[in-house]
Amino acid sequence: MHMSGSSSVINMDDDNYAGHALADFLLQLENYNPSIPDSVVAYYLNMSGFESQDPRLIRLVALAAQKFLSDIANDALQHCKMRTSSQMNQSKNPKGPKEKKFVMTMEDLVPALQEYGIQAKKPHYFV
Amino acid sequence: MSETTEKVENSCDARRRILNIAVSTVLLETGFSSSDKMALETLTEALQCFFTELGNSARGYCELSGRVEPVLGDVVMGLINMGISIQGIEQYATRPNRHVIQPLQQAQAPRTPAMLSAGSKAKPGIHIPLHLPSLPDPHAYIRTPTHKQPVTEYEAIREKAATQKRDIERALTKFLAKTSETHNLFNTEDNQVFPLIACKPTFPAYLPCLLPTDQVFDFDELEYHFQVANRTEDLPADKKDQSDNEGENGADNENANNSQSETQDIPSASSPERSKT
Repeated sequence: MHMSGSSSVINMDDDNYAGHALADFLLQLENYNPSIPDSVVAYYLNMSGFESQDPRLIRLVALAAQKFLSDIANDALQHCKMRTSSQMNQSKNPKGPKEKKFVMTMEDLVPALQEYGIQAKKPHYFV
Repeated sequence: MSETTEKVENSCDARRRILNIAVSTVLLETGFSSSDKMALETLTEALQCFFTELGNSARGYCELSGRVEPVLGDVVMGLINMGISIQGIEQYATRPNRHVIQPLQQAQAPRTPAMLSAGSKAKPGIHIPLHLPSLPDPHAYIRTPTHKQPVTEYEAIREKAATQKRDIERALTKFLAKTSETHNLFNTEDNQVFPLIACKPTFPAYLPCLLPTDQVFDFDELEYHFQVANRTEDLPADKKDQSDNEGENGADNENANNSQSETQDIPSASSPERSKT
């Protein structure tokens, strides 16, 4: 699971550029507040031994986590939409696009996670 | 649009709940209106693992290059190592419809109310660090005795001991006179005026010391054993020897008959005394 650019030299400039861009971006992060509070992220990072006095770095980590989650959620939404659209076509609903309410279920989440390499298995029974 | 926030029953970790809220926020932004509890928990767990893994790998990269404090490059390397793309982070940060969670207020630790404080506490000396608890109230240093100082004079103590001894003896003899057998000095009918505790001599006097009775719980049963179980008059001659070796410790076969008569004397001596009570 390596980034695609690390294999060829041509794309290395992109990575360097991305690195520089991130360094600039770090400066912009001073005023930005991600959804996850700083203290919570800092706590979990401290648990693994990562301690940083720079709040911008913590915010970058929080932002990366948020983006990661939103990517998974988007993939799950695609799955959900595919499923509901196929159901709508089969049931021939006269109301047309019925409710736009989507419910995130494990059926959508598991394949979305699998694309990221995370295997989520449901337990057969609850203890 | 309703957001399903689950009550986490068994986890009292506030941080975990905040992660739950953050995950729910992200799901809301994406377009979901509700979510399965299991899906939410799965994503929360994934988020927690993400932080742990990123922290670990970033620290690893940081220490690999001989530093102690992580830098941006370490975090980037950690992200790349995990396979998370960093291309679209900027666009993501500046997306239009982002929800922001309210900043949390730190809950105040419940302070125990200062109860019954009398006077001002003493200042700690300079040798005591400030982060230690404060000294107690000044009344903690006052010593109030709880009882009067006992008399230590020799005569008083001797007298007290003698009085105590006399009282104990009197009480005990009264008790025994009322409960056990009494012996009267005067040859009249039962006179309770001057009762004496009856003295019961046993014959022979040394016998209770010789017979081991520490394992005897029931004296009636012991008596039965001596009277009935050891009867050998009706048994033939060879069985007499066996029963004698059982009953006496180290009894010779020649003295079998003598020991038999002795064991029969004792129950007969004790039985008339028992009939008195």
